[in-house]
Amino acid sequence: MSNAALALLILLFPAGGAVVLAGRGWRLPRIFTVIVGPGVVWLSFIATMALFLGNANGDFTYWTWIKSGSFSVPFGLLIDNLSLFMCFVITGVGGLIVTYSVGYMEHEDGPSYARFFCYMDIFVFSMLLLVLADNLVFLIVGWAMVGLSSYLLIGFWYQRRSAVLAARKAFVMNVIGDVGMILGTFVLFVNVHSVSYSGVFDSLVRLCPANSNCNGDSGWLELAAFLLLVGAIAKSAQLPLHTWLPDAMEGPTPVSALIHAATMVTAGVYLVGRMHLIYDIATYAHAAVAIIGAVTALFAATIAIVQVDIKRVLAYSTMIQIGYMFLAVGIGAYSAGFFHLLSHAFFKALLFLAAGNVIHAMHDEQDMRKYGGLWRDMRLTSITFLVGSLSLVGVIPLVGFFSKEQILGLAFSKPDDAMVQILWLVGAATALITGFYTGRMWWLSFWGKPSPQRPVEHPHAPRLVMMVPVATLAVLAIVGGFIETRALGLGLSAVSDFLGKVVGPPAWEDTGVAVALGLVTMLLGAALFAGAMRIRPWSSYVPWAQTLLERKYYFDDIYAAAFVRPLDWVAGVAFRDVERPVIDAAVVDTGRLTRWTSVEASRNLQTGYFRNYVLVFVVGVVAIGGGLVIMRALS
Amino acid sequence: MSTLDIGGSQLDASWFLLLSAVLFSLGAVGVLVRRNPLVILISIELMLNAANLTLVTFSRQLQNMEGQLFALMSMTVAAAEAVVGLAILVDIFRVRDAEDVDDLSELKG
Repeated sequence: MSNAALALLILLFPAGGAVVLAGRGWRLPRIFTVIVGPGVVWLSFIATMALFLGNANGDFTYWTWIKSGSFSVPFGLLIDNLSLFMCFVITGVGGLIVTYSVGYMEHEDGPSYARFFCYMDIFVFSMLLLVLADNLVFLIVGWAMVGLSSYLLIGFWYQRRSAVLAARKAFVMNVIGDVGMILGTFVLFVNVHSVSYSGVFDSLVRLCPANSNCNGDSGWLELAAFLLLVGAIAKSAQLPLHTWLPDAMEGPTPVSALIHAATMVTAGVYLVGRMHLIYDIATYAHAAVAIIGAVTALFAATIAIVQVDIKRVLAYSTMIQIGYMFLAVGIGAYSAGFFHLLSHAFFKALLFLAAGNVIHAMHDEQDMRKYGGLWRDMRLTSITFLVGSLSLVGVIPLVGFFSKEQILGLAFSKPDDAMVQILWLVGAATALITGFYTGRMWWLSFWGKPSPQRPVEHPHAPRLVMMVPVATLAVLAIVGGFIETRALGLGLSAVSDFLGKVVGPPAWEDTGVAVALGLVTMLLGAALFAGAMRIRPWSSYVPWAQTLLERKYYFDDIYAAAFVRPLDWVAGVAFRDVERPVIDAAVVDTGRLTRWTSVEASRNLQTGYFRNYVLVFVVGVVAIGGGLVIMRALS
Repeated sequence: MSTLDIGGSQLDASWFLLLSAVLFSLGAVGVLVRRNPLVILISIELMLNAANLTLVTFSRQLQNMEGQLFALMSMTVAAAEAVVGLAILVDIFRVRDAEDVDDLSELKG
């Protein structure tokens, strides 16, 4: 089979699965959904694998979507190492998570069950379209569609008001990003007259030959880069458009694992990596990426300390890890950012799915204070969660150590850049806090005595279909790091070699000092992890700090005061003072007028009296005849 | 104004037309003011015959037979119309006692 057909198949499998499930599939027995829902994702995985093994590379155009003068948008798929890498993450980790959902969603009734897998397949399709598109227009299509499927899945339990509100919030935040993306594409198109990646990048190379400093006349490029960054920030839940992600935890846990940890929220990282030629030139926007990433990481880490909802802790942790990825791609260490993306997909999906096991057993209770002592009842889940946690903290030899160390090491050793060293400090501090809040989460949930408020005395063990994906991810989180062990100088660098063909090899290497500092950070983080069993967060001794963190730095309140409430007020005024008295009145009075003309006024014409009709007739004849006579006489 | 020769005496055509107009007006007023349906039908006949008189007058004056033919035609139509009208009246009388056309105002809006 040709590569072009295979590339299209990657997309068609999940699309077909979604169509079948939405069409007649949900009426069929549940086993049909169980096979089709995860099956199509695995088929995409196989297609991706076939392309990978065939060393596929190329830009395949299938048809022209829009053509207007010199503007044309082809439907084309770009197969290169970066898009294949992303496809592996999406279909591989996605396949595991969708398979896990077979067990997690078992309590849903038939139609809801099929609806869930239909949405999941729509999401996988959209995300694959996002990473495979070979032009900015289809990138935006995929970008908006992942936002849509995220909305659908957050609001999956639409009977719950909080879920609907969270879904709406996520959608609005994402649309802000979509607008940024679209405006950024406009700016690019106006200046280089192309929306395809190859067209844009070719023009960039012409406008800005290698090693020349073209900052002087690249104002529009900075503008485009900043606008695209707005999209990346909104999608990846970075400051200041992050508030939707913690609320998005209202969705089912597999959704949080797939969309709000492993894939969709990393789209911003993908975008910056894909557009790295732009960001390499647009230095201000590039620096902004790194600063936003580092600041978000520290910001979210402090909030994660005080959260009590296990999924919310994981959500803030996701913001932190994506912050690291932004930091990496922001300083130009692209392949390090993508390695962390992969590693994060492994261990965060693992954490979410293991947390899902707990939540499932606890009858949807998510408050960690009501768990306690789960170690005794859910041994395997506790161990896998511990593996994920330690990987998140960055303990040797788990995958998180290698990826996080690579980012921090490269940040520390970036030559001639004091700002990046400050960002390293922020990142290292975040790594320590990560050790603490992760430890707090693990000890609180799994250690100690069972909480008296625990909803289930003896939680049941997760089903096999749930445990196998969790165990697989745990294995990946343990051994995954060995494909890229540059941090320890072991010389394996599969990821950066693979991606280097697209994003370029790292321009500099870790210094020995950076590696040593990384090891120290890791040890301190691990110590804090262990210490979290006993230490309470310092903020609990400072009431105002505790409140500040529990209210999440008042971001939601500020947005409510700045945007939501003024809008509500305007809407209220419009409703009370415009809609009701003006528009409604106009409509009602128009109706009344019609009734008057049709009933009151014209009923008198229709008396039913024969002589009235004759009289009208006679008067008419006399008037017309008389008029004719008078006209004749006058002329 | 030309004169017509009626049985040897000469008479101005306008007298005939005037008579026709008076008869027509009587018929029209009858239709308008009378309430008995039979009388209304009679008044309609009166108007038709007034029109016939006009037709015949002009036919004679213009020495053109078409007018007289048309008068015959109009009498036929009048007869047919009277048949239909009377049939409707008979039908109405069967159902109800309608001495007054104002009682037949079911089509009032």
